Amino acid sequence: MNKHKSSRRRFMRLIASTFVYAGMAISATGLLGRRGAAAARQLSPAPGYDWTKHRWGFGVDATRCIGCLRCVEACKTENGVARDAHHFRTWVERYVYLEGEKKPRVDSQQDPGNIAASGSEKEYRFDNRYQDAKVEKAFFVPKLCNQCENPPCVQVCPVGATFRTPDGVVLIDHDYCIGCQYCVQACPYGVRLFNHAHGVTDKCTWCYHRITRGLQPACVEVCPTGARIFGDQNDPESPISKFIRENRVRVLKPEMGTSPNVFYVGLDKEVM
Amino acid sequence: MPKHIVRLLLLIATFGVVAIGAKLYFTDKSFGVYGHYRADSVAEIAAAAPIYRGAAYCQACHHERFTQWSAGIHKVVTCETCHGAAGKHPDGKPPVPSDARTHNLIASARYDQFELSIPADTVKLCTLCHEKMPGRPAVQRQIEISQHAGTQPCTICHNPHSPKITVAAVSKTAMAGDVAAGREKAARCAACHGAEGVSGNPAWPSLAGQQPVYLVSALQAYRTGARRDPVMTDQAKGLSEADANDLAAYYARLSCQTAASARPVPEVAAGKAKASVCASCHGAGGISRNPAWPNLAGQQEGYLVSALKAYRAGARKDAMMAGLVKDLSDTDIRQLAAHYAGASCK
Repeated sequence: MNKHKSSRRRFMRLIASTFVYAGMAISATGLLGRRGAAAARQLSPAPGYDWTKHRWGFGVDATRCIGCLRCVEACKTENGVARDAHHFRTWVERYVYLEGEKKPRVDSQQDPGNIAASGSEKEYRFDNRYQDAKVEKAFFVPKLCNQCENPPCVQVCPVGATFRTPDGVVLIDHDYCIGCQYCVQACPYGVRLFNHAHGVTDKCTWCYHRITRGLQPACVEVCPTGARIFGDQNDPESPISKFIRENRVRVLKPEMGTSPNVFYVGLDKEVM
Repeated sequence: MPKHIVRLLLLIATFGVVAIGAKLYFTDKSFGVYGHYRADSVAEIAAAAPIYRGAAYCQACHHERFTQWSAGIHKVVTCETCHGAAGKHPDGKPPVPSDARTHNLIASARYDQFELSIPADTVKLCTLCHEKMPGRPAVQRQIEISQHAGTQPCTICHNPHSPKITVAAVSKTAMAGDVAAGREKAARCAACHGAEGVSGNPAWPSLAGQQPVYLVSALQAYRTGARRDPVMTDQAKGLSEADANDLAAYYARLSCQTAASARPVPEVAAGKAKASVCASCHGAGGISRNPAWPNLAGQQEGYLVSALKAYRAGARKDAMMAGLVKDLSDTDIRQLAAHYAGASCK
């Protein structure tokens, strides 16, 4: 009798100590990750560029957008996005309120009517379907990744393939991505897309390879009306700082708690 | 310890060792340096070469175009927006990296996707921005395609690098010239251009009923030397700006007369067909809609022929006319002149 009792106790002690030592071993390996914050302060990913010195921001003036879709075209060229209308890192939505209707009619460049009007799969255009209609109100809204401060897509990635850089851009490591598309599901704005050719997820990076060289994102470069604004929020004289200072700006879906970094002017009640 | 417990614990321990070993072996060395991700990927992403180079890159070789463009209203549209991304232009594509990792495959595929071009279908390209469409803010210049110029290429009238068509600055003063003073000053013009502004010589243009702003700008061109003629250059030097305004106002009010064409009817008909392109500026019947662009209806045939040939040869300079007439043959010119000379000028 005694023998059984003491062997049970011994067993329980053995299990408990296994957990303790295992736990210590695991947290010892976990310590490698804690180098993160300190390392970020010292190291820089691109030569000649210090990512701790910048805090990138983007502005969209929807009152200026003419829906020419040059931004969509430029982004695809610059970033190698699949050319068909259904794959895009940035897009433009058209909202049209017809007389007598309470809800707007919304379409983007991937609407079949617009694809037909463009002439080919590789060209982008809004058709003029409302030219003879009684339009009460209409406008265009360009959209792209909001590079959230608190990104749900980063939170759900099972392998650490997507992450946020200290200068405020959410990037994707295409070599680590396993293509589960959990992040595509998680994004409340629908900015992430799946690259079917390579089986990985893709999204707008604010042309990280350009902004780290002092250039502007391709979409900002080609926009003819100044509907897209980009800059360093750390610099009070940058275009984005001035844009935020001089306009009543708001973000998309603030209730989601994502803290986006794309600031909009000229949105409407129906724009989500 | 009972054997089955020992075996179980050994199994768990083996599993633990294999798991931790595999994690340490397969995890990239740079993983976890900055955070829960592979640090090297940031450098890889930032290393991709930009494909859009910006207008300053184009300026290096295309300086004339660049100057024209940066002084015009289209300076908000970068070169690459219409012509395509410059990439490595004029050099070829960069080598494809042999390392076939996903990131490299995506990054290098970008260079297969673009090409620079001079847009052929200008209506399609320009209307991307300029088609009148609900939702476009009013500050954006927009046209109803069918009512603007139909299917004519936009570049017939608009220089795509500086597309704004400006009526000459003289317009206000030219319209307000003194007709009576103009009549007096026109006395010495009559010798060539006719007493009532209708020339008797096919080589000298009629001035009666001509657009006043055009007349003023013609005199100014002779005065500055932009346009040269052995007689007119001297004549224009003796005229002040006020003189030019008065003369223009006087001639504009005179009644024009159609100079009959000596050409056979088929020639005239052929000329009429070819003149459809000219109509957008010079009017459907040869009566222009803009005071800066000359009326052609009823003009002397010989003068029209020499004018077109002068534009074609570059002796007479006008950006719009040069592009339009460069492909005209002598036959085309003859037929166009025949058509306009016989067109009613009322």
